[in-house]
Amino acid sequence: MADQKKETTEEGLIAAPVIALQEIGSAGQNFLAEVGSMFWFIINTFNETLERLREGRVPFTASSFFRYAERAGVDSVPLVGLVSFFLGLTMALLTGYQLQRFGTERLVPGLVSIGFTRELGPLITGIMLAARIGAAFTAELGTMTVSEEVEAIEAMGIGPLRFLVAPRMLALFFLMPCLSTISNISAIVATSLISKAYFGIAFPYFVDLVRDSLLIRDLITGVLKSFLFGLLIAAIACYRGLNVKGGAAGVGTATTSSVVTAITVVIGVDTLYNVVYTNFFPT
Amino acid sequence: MSSENSHMVALRDVVMEFEDKKVLDDLSLTVEPQERLVVMGQSGSGKSTILRLILGILHPSAGEVFFKQFEVTRLRRRKLQQVRRQIGMVYQYSALLSSRNVRDNVALPLEELSEKSRKEIDTIVDEKLDLVGMKDARDLMPSELSGGMRKRVSLARALTMEPELVLFDEPTAGLDPVIASVIDELIISLTENAKVTSIVVTHEMASAFRVGTRMAMLYQGKIIEDADPETFKNSQNPVVAQFLSGSTEGPILEGSQDAIEKK
Repeated sequence: MADQKKETTEEGLIAAPVIALQEIGSAGQNFLAEVGSMFWFIINTFNETLERLREGRVPFTASSFFRYAERAGVDSVPLVGLVSFFLGLTMALLTGYQLQRFGTERLVPGLVSIGFTRELGPLITGIMLAARIGAAFTAELGTMTVSEEVEAIEAMGIGPLRFLVAPRMLALFFLMPCLSTISNISAIVATSLISKAYFGIAFPYFVDLVRDSLLIRDLITGVLKSFLFGLLIAAIACYRGLNVKGGAAGVGTATTSSVVTAITVVIGVDTLYNVVYTNFFPT
Repeated sequence: MSSENSHMVALRDVVMEFEDKKVLDDLSLTVEPQERLVVMGQSGSGKSTILRLILGILHPSAGEVFFKQFEVTRLRRRKLQQVRRQIGMVYQYSALLSSRNVRDNVALPLEELSEKSRKEIDTIVDEKLDLVGMKDARDLMPSELSGGMRKRVSLARALTMEPELVLFDEPTAGLDPVIASVIDELIISLTENAKVTSIVVTHEMASAFRVGTRMAMLYQGKIIEDADPETFKNSQNPVVAQFLSGSTEGPILEGSQDAIEKK
């Protein structure tokens, strides 16, 4: 009996690293499979939409596009504006006090405006939209999937990807740069207030400082990034929504997973983008 | 190939596995034009799976599924979408789009798939809603309708594209006996007037015998009885006999008992 036990522990010790490797392997495999199917999801949505256009029909009505554009874009303006305003205040205040010790507080306007246009504007907007709109899209499509509405659409011979996913994707794709621009503007306005109140930088001088430090390149890269984030957030949200399994609880799980995935992907892709970008434009 | 043409639907040696569970096991079934086939079976026996296979929403693990001359499993997306337009489906829980009102639900396939003007669409929608007696509910949202009303709207939606085949998934489940009869009569009159073939999946005995011109019994992934209602009623098959009588004594429960014990 004792011998037997010893043998099993030994066997266990030998097996443990193998099991760990297997676990890591299968987790990696799942991850890659997920990335792959997400990629095909986007490609298929494009294909279905293009096929429809080739038939000479609109893939979705203008009113459905504008409905999502309003929900995702216009209704997000207060949130994005306010959060960016607060962040702008904080950033200007904190960096200003540090720079003041070296007598270089006039760098604050440039610092915040470059920081926001290139980086924080799109990133913060992306994170907020992932939480606000990504969750809504996933819950909506998830409920439709659970109640067989999506299947019914498919059974009628209507492509669910172009009918349900394409207008959402397009709305977020176009509205995301607009929202990150609003984020940039409200952060810069906040900075101008702090600069005036704490560091004695008058508004005309503030505008000059911002214009001197901002490059067109910074603006363009921020906008390009926003397009990409919009597409990714919508794709992840819709993909998760259409793949819901298991009723109400499934919708909940999918919504959580959609927000978490979208935020992680936005930050991850941002990092990757910056690595590539700084390689091409080191200065 | 030519022999498939005469059937409306033909399933040949279809095997359907979900993970390790075999739901359909070498199932073969044909449906002739203009008949109303009732497929009976226990809950979870794979009745609805058959309908989803015909629509090409599920793919069989093995075997072939034909709708007229088309092999549904081999069609590419565009062709499959065109084939699906000839098939109407009425879902168990109606599956109306909850964000659209009754009119927009019924109009959806026309708006998306036909070249008709808004006026023409409105005429067709009114006509279909009139057929199912739901014209007054035109502007209501699905959440404002009762189960039977939803089912009728769903039926109207399935008929808008003038399909050749209509599939019914438990059309009377969860409805009171009177409304159930109304739905059954609608199914009979609509399919007879429009010369539509239909497949009705149900386990409600009364409804099945009212609607069916042919009955099939699905048990353990196979069709174990396939006959006209009169023969079916007097079937010597112990499973069918037990199913019809609703008795707890017989092969059906034994089978499930085995399954429970094995687990």
